[in-house]
Amino acid sequence: MSNYIVPVLIIGVIIYAVIKKVNVYDSFTEGTKSALILVFNIFPYIAVILMCVELFKVSGLAKIAVQWLEPFFTFLGMPSELAEIVLIKPLSGNGSLALLEEVFNEYGPDSYIARCAAVIVGSSETLFYITAVYFSTVKIKKLRYAIPVALFASFAGAVIACFICRFI
Amino acid sequence: MNVVFIVLVTASLIMLCTVSPESAITVMLNGVSGSIQLALKLCAIYAVWVSVLSIMEKTNMTNGLYRLLRPLCKKLFKGESDKAYEYISMNLATNLLGMGGAATPMGIKAVEEMSKGKDKASDNLILFTVINATSIQLLPMTIISLRAAAGSSTASDIIIPSLIATACTTLIGGLLCFVLRGIKRKNKNKPNEKPLYDKH
Repeated sequence: MSNYIVPVLIIGVIIYAVIKKVNVYDSFTEGTKSALILVFNIFPYIAVILMCVELFKVSGLAKIAVQWLEPFFTFLGMPSELAEIVLIKPLSGNGSLALLEEVFNEYGPDSYIARCAAVIVGSSETLFYITAVYFSTVKIKKLRYAIPVALFASFAGAVIACFICRFI
Repeated sequence: MNVVFIVLVTASLIMLCTVSPESAITVMLNGVSGSIQLALKLCAIYAVWVSVLSIMEKTNMTNGLYRLLRPLCKKLFKGESDKAYEYISMNLATNLLGMGGAATPMGIKAVEEMSKGKDKASDNLILFTVINATSIQLLPMTIISLRAAAGSSTASDIIIPSLIATACTTLIGGLLCFVLRGIKRKNKNKPNEKPLYDKH
C-alpha cells in the first residue's frame, strides 16, 4: 500500500502541472540546480558530524558511555543491551541502522530486545544531524533549549517504547 | 553545537591517544569520506525531491496543502509569514508520510523563513526543531523492511508501538517547549512588576 504513495504522488503532480500549463521539464531542472546548491551548503555540517561520530565510536568513548548508561537502563526497566542504540541514534541514522541489524542478527528479529530496538529507531530522528543541517544556511548559532528538550523527549520515547513492547 | 563539538572531538582524541594514536588521522578521514558518500546520496535524493517540489510550487499545489494545514500551523507557530507557514506545512506533511528526503529541504527553507536573519533561535524555531527531531512518522518503512529482511514473521507489528512512541516523544517535546516558553514569559514579566512595588 505505502509503496504506491511516492509514484502516485509524482504522477499526480505531473498531471496537475500539465493541467495548470506549467513547464514540467524546466521546473524540474531548476529544482535539481537548487538541490545541488543545497547539498553544497549543508556539506560542511555533514562532514563535521560524521567525523565526530566516527571518532566517538572508534576511540572507544562510545563503549565507555554505554557502560555508564547500562545501570541506568536496568533501573528504568529497559534492556541494557539497547544502551548503544539509544546513544548513537541522535548522532547517526546509518550508525543506528547498522546497530539495529546487529541486534536482529544476535537476538532474532522477533525477540523482545529486537522489537524494542526497532521501535526506538523507528520513532525518533537523528537530532544532531537534523539541527546541523536545518540551521546550516542561517546565522542562528544559539539554539537555547532546543537540544536538551529534544534529547529528553527522545529518551522518554525510548523508555515508553520498551514499556509498550512488553505487551505485544 | 560548538561546545558539543569541542567536547566530543577532544575527548575522543584523548581516548584514541591511549589506544592507538597512529590511527587518529585515518579515523577522521574515514568520517569525512563517509560524509562525501552521504552528500552524493543526498544530491540524488534532493535532486528528485526538490525538483518535484519546485513543480508543486509552480502549480500552487503547495498553497492547497498549506490551506489544509494552516489552522494547525497557525496555532503551533504564531506570528510567522505566509511563506514560512507554507514551508512548515510541507515539512510536516512529508514527515508524516515518511519521506525524509523531501522533508529536509522543506525544513531548511522553513528555518530560513523563520530565522529572519537573527542569531538566536526563536521559540517557534525551537518548537519546529523539536517536532522535527522527535519525528512524527506514520509508517517506519525502512525499519519494517529491515525486520522483514532479517526473517521476521510479523515484521509490521511494530507499527502501532512506533506510532504510540513517536506520538509520545513529539507530545512530550512539544509540551516541554510550551512549559519553558511559559516560564520565560513569567520571568520577563517580573521586572515590570518591581517598579510598581517600589512606589509604595
